[in-house]
Amino acid sequence: MSQPLSGLRVVDLSALGGAYGTRLMAALGAEVIKVEPPGGSPLRGLAPFAESAPDGEASLWWAFLAMGTKSVELDPETDDGRAAMADLLRGADIVVDEHGPDVLDELGLGYDDVSADNPGVIWVSITPFGLTGSKRSWSTSNLVAWAASSILYTVGFEDQPPANPGGPVQMAMHATALNATVGALMALRVRRATGRGQQVDLAISESALAIAPETTVPVFLDDQVHRVRTGNRRALSRPFGIYPCADGYVSILVLMPHHWAAMAEWVHEVTGNETIIEDVFADVVVRGESMELIDMWTEELTMQLSALEVFEEGQRRGIPITPVNTVEALRNDPHLAATGFWQQGEMPDGATVEVPGAPFRTSAAWWATSRAPLLGEHSAEILS
Amino acid sequence: MAVREGPRALDGIRVFEIGIAIASPSCGRYMAHHGAEVFKVESPTAPDVVRLLGSAWLRGDEERAFAMADSSPYVPEMNADKKSVALALKEPAAREAAHRLVANCDVFIANFAARALVDLGLDYETLREIKPDLIYVQLPGFGSDPSKPYYPYVAWGPNQAPLVGLDDMTGHADREPAGIATVAPPDYLSALHCTVAVLAGLEHRDSTGEGVHVDVAQFETTIGMLAPFAMEHSLTGTTTSRIGNRSLWYAPEGVYPCDGEERWIAISCDSDDAWDTLRAMAAPALDDPRFDTNEARMAVQDDLDAAVASWTVGYDNVDLAARLQTKGVTAHIVATNEDLLQDDHVKRRGWYEVNPSARFTRDVYSTNPVRLSETPGYSNRGGPSMGEHTVEVLTEVAGLSEAEVDELIGAGAAFTMVEPDVVLDRPYEQFLHLLLPVEDARDLS
Repeated sequence: MSQPLSGLRVVDLSALGGAYGTRLMAALGAEVIKVEPPGGSPLRGLAPFAESAPDGEASLWWAFLAMGTKSVELDPETDDGRAAMADLLRGADIVVDEHGPDVLDELGLGYDDVSADNPGVIWVSITPFGLTGSKRSWSTSNLVAWAASSILYTVGFEDQPPANPGGPVQMAMHATALNATVGALMALRVRRATGRGQQVDLAISESALAIAPETTVPVFLDDQVHRVRTGNRRALSRPFGIYPCADGYVSILVLMPHHWAAMAEWVHEVTGNETIIEDVFADVVVRGESMELIDMWTEELTMQLSALEVFEEGQRRGIPITPVNTVEALRNDPHLAATGFWQQGEMPDGATVEVPGAPFRTSAAWWATSRAPLLGEHSAEILS
Repeated sequence: MAVREGPRALDGIRVFEIGIAIASPSCGRYMAHHGAEVFKVESPTAPDVVRLLGSAWLRGDEERAFAMADSSPYVPEMNADKKSVALALKEPAAREAAHRLVANCDVFIANFAARALVDLGLDYETLREIKPDLIYVQLPGFGSDPSKPYYPYVAWGPNQAPLVGLDDMTGHADREPAGIATVAPPDYLSALHCTVAVLAGLEHRDSTGEGVHVDVAQFETTIGMLAPFAMEHSLTGTTTSRIGNRSLWYAPEGVYPCDGEERWIAISCDSDDAWDTLRAMAAPALDDPRFDTNEARMAVQDDLDAAVASWTVGYDNVDLAARLQTKGVTAHIVATNEDLLQDDHVKRRGWYEVNPSARFTRDVYSTNPVRLSETPGYSNRGGPSMGEHTVEVLTEVAGLSEAEVDELIGAGAAFTMVEPDVVLDRPYEQFLHLLLPVEDARDLS
């Protein structure tokens, strides 16, 4: 089997802003060595936990994000640890660092120090706000990255504070990690031509900003509209947004005329509503003016059905409808069962757990992964 | 606006892109920024939705209606520096031209429905006959396997976040899901996976000499982000859902009101040191023994958040965020789009690009977050006009003769740009100095 990143050695000094990306590199064939401080990576402390697993090996974030990687435990603050780290960095093709600006430089282990001995090294610097600029020393979190991007302000209900998009999923961090992989692979192409590595300046803040065109400056300059929170429905049309059903919620986006015709006919068939099929409601402006009525009629239909029933019948009728899936609904989803998306995986202690499969499917066999390492599991192998 | 030059990471790579809205166009934009030659194959008879959106300031302007399809700010956001090749792919002759273009490309990316690509003769099985080492990456909502249950279903833009579980995770615990609505993170996350797949595909081709087909099913791709919670469900049956702005790991984390209407600050108190600092700054508002340890604070978050809010509400959010960060507490204002316009850091990082396009003296759009020190990406042109590069690309890249191209155009199978009588100004001139670092802003005059 020829994996696309076979033969590459990645030294992973990242936390939540890089882990999803180094996980991808490992699954695509790279040897990814996680350098953990004494006591373990901070990722090992992140809930949720597997209750059966021993402390330090129980975090499900670690169990997922460290899959396929190797673990070395060392303390760069000691002479021995520093020497071991320097050796590792000298032998690296790619380093993914998330210590923040200047931290490793102060230990003599920064990009300038390492590239003097290892000019081919590709060094991805993941920082909260970038290596330059007035906020270069600021710290961040997933919530703060969304706050700075202008997306956070637009999410939530009018009468409550803005709401973190995706909440505990930590999406801004994973977007950053994907960018880290993109930057490393681009630099790799350059290195093949020139023999020289380079540094990738990757700001968590900019990885979030790159997702924000809908709320950021160029679009604002165009229409001068202040994006505000409107809850889970938008005034653009009706029905348009999230609606309750018998066992949860569905998302219904009726904007195009033929979608409305199909929606109105469906409500009429099921609830006997004669008014909704009147021509006047084909006008999106009229539906906007009578949104409470349209929403009520829509709910008279949706409340009789489960989310999956609304989804399947709505799609059959050609209406853009999806369920608002919970984690449980996704785990029970018939399509994901048919595609074999959920895979049998292993916890670091060997217990079995179902994990999401590869993020994409390839005609060549690219994807291979294994359980996350125990703390220091590969110290002897790698450091000897 | 000096023309930038210099080697870039993807020099020499040619990309055939057929896409709509965000998911595959955003991948193409990454590649164009980093030096690839990206051909956006599109058609005036079935235009990309960003062509239909137009701009607010041109709406109702009949005299300048010719510019409408190029005027949406999403045109450069998603397509800057690409070359537009306008083909009516329903015509066999146009399809033949597209195939000749594919034969001279390295990469094919598409987010059309899988069925549509088959109908257009642009499926992998057809194209690998034409270009055996092609890197073919498609982004259908539910995958390209017709035997799977949701294959024919459609899920665009705002339906993706609810579908993949993100909306259920968004909002306050005591209320229905708030939903993400205004923005579409799953599209961008799929685009990033698409970009990783393309770059891995180039590695694969270089080491094996072979091409590859990659199916980025958007449904499956984004669900991977929820892995720890899916694993939790697998082990314990527990379903984690929305928790407002709180953290599963530490407290306080939240969005708190500041002085003024709709002025907010986000604070993440992610260490004992940060808590000690915050507590001292806010004294006596947080002097409650129930707040002494993180574990204790996690148990009384309603009271904790109320106490933090009672302190923040007296301050200007910009000043307070700067003070907190200076002392080591993670915080930022909850920026509005107007705040971003005034954000000196974003400006100094050179986040905005200002470049000419065929239609506008200056297009304004965001740059790319991946910044390479030795081979930095750049763009020199804004969004292409529909068909702006049809003739150039079909003759110079696809190898058609000028007569063949003329014939395509005459038959309505290919289109060229409607030439502008005038190059228009976007009505942003008074804002541009806010967007650019001082040295670049000087070039504007």
